[in-house]
Amino acid sequence: MIATTVASASVAPAATSLVTFDWSVLAPVLVPALAAVAVLVLDVLAPRLVRLHATVGVLALVAGIALTVPGVLRTADDPLRTLCLPAPDGCLFEAGPLASALQLGALGSALVVLLLSWPGTDPRDHLRGGPAVLVSLVLAATAGAAGVAAAHDLGSWLVCLELATLPAIALVALRGDAPAGRGALALLTTSLVSFAMVALGAALWLVSTGEAVFSAAAATEALADPQRRVVLLLAALLLLAGLGFKLSLVPFHVWTPQAYAGATEPVAAFLAATSKVAALAALLVVVRPLVGAGAPVLFGIGMLAAVSMTLGNVLALVQDDPVRLLAWSTVAQAGWVVLPLSALNEQSAAASGGYLLAYVIATLVAFVVVHVVTSTPRLRGATDLGRTLTAYTGLLRAHPLLGGALGLALLSLAGLPPGVVGLIAKVVALRPVVGAGQWALALVAVLNAVIGVAVYLRWFAVLLRDPDEGPARPVIRSIPRPALAALVLSGAALVATSVMPQLLLGLLD
Amino acid sequence: MVILTSLVVPAAVAVWLLTGGRTVSHRTANLLASVASVIALAAVVVAVIVRPTVDRAWVPSLGLRWQLAVDGISAPLLLLTAILGVGVVLHTLDRPPKGGTTAAFHACLLLVEFGALATFYARDAVLFFVAFELVLVPMWVLITRFGDAHDAAARADAGGRFVLYTAFGSTLMLVGILALVAKSGTSDLDVLAQGGGHGIPVGTQTLVAALLVAGLAVKVPVFPLHTWLPPAHTTAPTAGSVLLAAVLLKMGTYGLVRLPLASVPDGFAKVAPVLAVLGAIGIIWGGLACLVERDLKRLIAYSSVAHMGFVILGLSSGTRTGLQAALFANVAHGVISALLFVVVGGLKERWGSADLETARAALREVTPRLGFALIVGLAASLGLPGLAGFWGEFLSVYAAWSPAADRPEGLFRTLAVVAAMGTVLAAAYALRVARTVWAGERTAPPIEDSRDSEWDVIAVLVVAVLLLGIAPGPLLAMTGDAVTTIVGAAP
Repeated sequence: MIATTVASASVAPAATSLVTFDWSVLAPVLVPALAAVAVLVLDVLAPRLVRLHATVGVLALVAGIALTVPGVLRTADDPLRTLCLPAPDGCLFEAGPLASALQLGALGSALVVLLLSWPGTDPRDHLRGGPAVLVSLVLAATAGAAGVAAAHDLGSWLVCLELATLPAIALVALRGDAPAGRGALALLTTSLVSFAMVALGAALWLVSTGEAVFSAAAATEALADPQRRVVLLLAALLLLAGLGFKLSLVPFHVWTPQAYAGATEPVAAFLAATSKVAALAALLVVVRPLVGAGAPVLFGIGMLAAVSMTLGNVLALVQDDPVRLLAWSTVAQAGWVVLPLSALNEQSAAASGGYLLAYVIATLVAFVVVHVVTSTPRLRGATDLGRTLTAYTGLLRAHPLLGGALGLALLSLAGLPPGVVGLIAKVVALRPVVGAGQWALALVAVLNAVIGVAVYLRWFAVLLRDPDEGPARPVIRSIPRPALAALVLSGAALVATSVMPQLLLGLLD
Repeated sequence: MVILTSLVVPAAVAVWLLTGGRTVSHRTANLLASVASVIALAAVVVAVIVRPTVDRAWVPSLGLRWQLAVDGISAPLLLLTAILGVGVVLHTLDRPPKGGTTAAFHACLLLVEFGALATFYARDAVLFFVAFELVLVPMWVLITRFGDAHDAAARADAGGRFVLYTAFGSTLMLVGILALVAKSGTSDLDVLAQGGGHGIPVGTQTLVAALLVAGLAVKVPVFPLHTWLPPAHTTAPTAGSVLLAAVLLKMGTYGLVRLPLASVPDGFAKVAPVLAVLGAIGIIWGGLACLVERDLKRLIAYSSVAHMGFVILGLSSGTRTGLQAALFANVAHGVISALLFVVVGGLKERWGSADLETARAALREVTPRLGFALIVGLAASLGLPGLAGFWGEFLSVYAAWSPAADRPEGLFRTLAVVAAMGTVLAAAYALRVARTVWAGERTAPPIEDSRDSEWDVIAVLVVAVLLLGIAPGPLLAMTGDAVTTIVGAAP
């Protein structure tokens, strides 16, 4: 065994060691991870320079975004590879267009979150541990999200997945009050259960395929053998359930509204965007080798998608807290995200990724506006309505920039023009399902598209009212510059992808 | 180039009105919107004569292209949309909208025009769907913000119904389109029409046709999916009602011709008898509702359901005559309903409500111009020979009497008789309205007669109704060639 390994290693490209190593391919993961450590060190050396901490975080994310570009430009058949072992194990880290696009989504959404939580811009700001901890946690979780998208072996996949999850729990707890504690506890419990399921699933995967790598060849071989087939399908179902927690799929969604409502808005945005990218990226790594796995997984994903959409939409329809509304909307949209995976064909992974990125952009814009409306000081005399939909009465006319951005985000989430990117995303998500002839699922999706329209138009109608109709004019004095930068960044992405949806879909193929 | 001009100009002006020009005065907004819609009309006229094509990639990942063209089926509808686009803007000149900014109102009108033109130009099935969805939000804003000022709850209800019903229909249509594209491998409507569904099993064709028909039937609307229409019409502002009746409903029938009828004819043949029965029920149901309805605007809305029933019946018959009749009736209904909604909307503004039970001054006595326009509209609507409504409905009934060979003849003949009875109902309700509103000696309370921009719009529409009735030839000739390519040269 050892002899053959050494023999094949001698023909591998990097003959100096057993494993090839390419820094530039790993950079989108390493840069935020190193920056997370650097911020903590800076916090020890110069605890007062909070803006410097945030700047380091922002710069690291911008650098990470730039470093994903080479991977995005590759074709699906020819990804960037590194950590390559001698055959037959293949490479442990593969950054193709889909994985790189998801890394880009994770890093970009984290950038928006960091800008939103810029130190000193939120008067209610009394986070435990100070800004450096927040920046460091966001960077660490982002590194995990970027890593899990490209990880190909069970070990680094599990580590990256937990690296993406655990800091998020701490982020929720940072606010330190009772709702934050409840939210963090719900998230912690869920994460533990989810970790147990994922770990068990990974172990069963190893047992059934005999390899510690997610490889299509090994999966196909295992599926051919009836006894190993059962174990592999059980592994897939456990992994699906474990990741369902992280994606907020019904029935694993219960933590979502609690954690969102307990956390600050930027952290809720992080949970809704970056965490979801990590979860879907992890799921895609599992699902891709399973193309052709057969009915049980298909049925499982289809059921999860249908139930998540329906329950999420129906409960979003009755929420009055915009953050809770967005939380339930996450549940519904998570159903849409996994919908194409139920067809398990070549299109579905890219379709799922495309839908997720469209959702991430739109939901980030919505969270930015919600954060600005609830946190910035108002003109004297205006009642603070806190987190209720009434606070948005007439926002389109009272503050056209915020109102317009939120309106476009809501229409994108609803899938109605002028939010064209949301409409195209629905087309992309439905295409594999219809192509596979799953009519019942398509019908459920149609009904949910309609309920979704009702959910988001309910909020949009509030924006559209006369500002004087509301109990108080929500006059926002000024938007802090970092928040404005976040709004411009995410808003520009939303407008650009609505005019040219190819900018988004082109990333994936 | 002209096609893009007719699309980009209204869209760009609308976007500017929503962003940079939010605070402009009513006059300025109206002037800008008028210029934009006149440019669009000129571009559409040139496009109808020159027949250029546009073909540019938009979303290569989906194979989605900006593929735009004009042919005999879309040309009349494009002209109708562009003319009414100018009409509704002119009509707004003397009526500053209530409920929101005037810039937003004009932007919504232009966006509806943009979406409708894009729908009629589109030659790619998925692009057709995207354009079809474009009109939803602006129309919803017109209904919920600028509609009937008396009742906020009714506005929200009507707007919500409109958007939810049509979103359901169009998403169902999307599933049908995606299935069609998956089975035939192309989303080019011309290629689909030439292929005529060859190579797709009849069972699949039927399923695709059923999905497409069900989705589009919401928009047309076909009985029993019509319940969103009366409230939407009742609450929408006059300009909104005109666009709704004359443009948006046409998008449904146009879609029926382009998608199921042309691309999966065998499947459509299986669905057609059901559709025809529903069309005939719609004719009778709409007529009966008009006999008892107290609200004048709602009455006209129900009469739309009846008229669209004739269009559906003609479409379902599967013959060249039937399709010609449907396309003619489509345009004729656009003109007639636009005329009626302008008149009735004006009356509602003057009266303060549109209740028929309230005693009012006879239009014959106090407002001869409005009275004359109303009578022309009602006469055309009941299908009087010499006016626009006659040809479409007469030919539809004729086509249903002698349907295509693969349609059940007995059923269609029965439906022809039922539809003929529907014209009797139409006569009855038209006379009912004429008797209560137009005839009589009362002169109190006095109301102002139509003048200025409102009268200009009415006059143009009256002339159009007369022209279409006296000389149906040009319109029938315009659609003739395109119809031949869809159903063949058989009668």
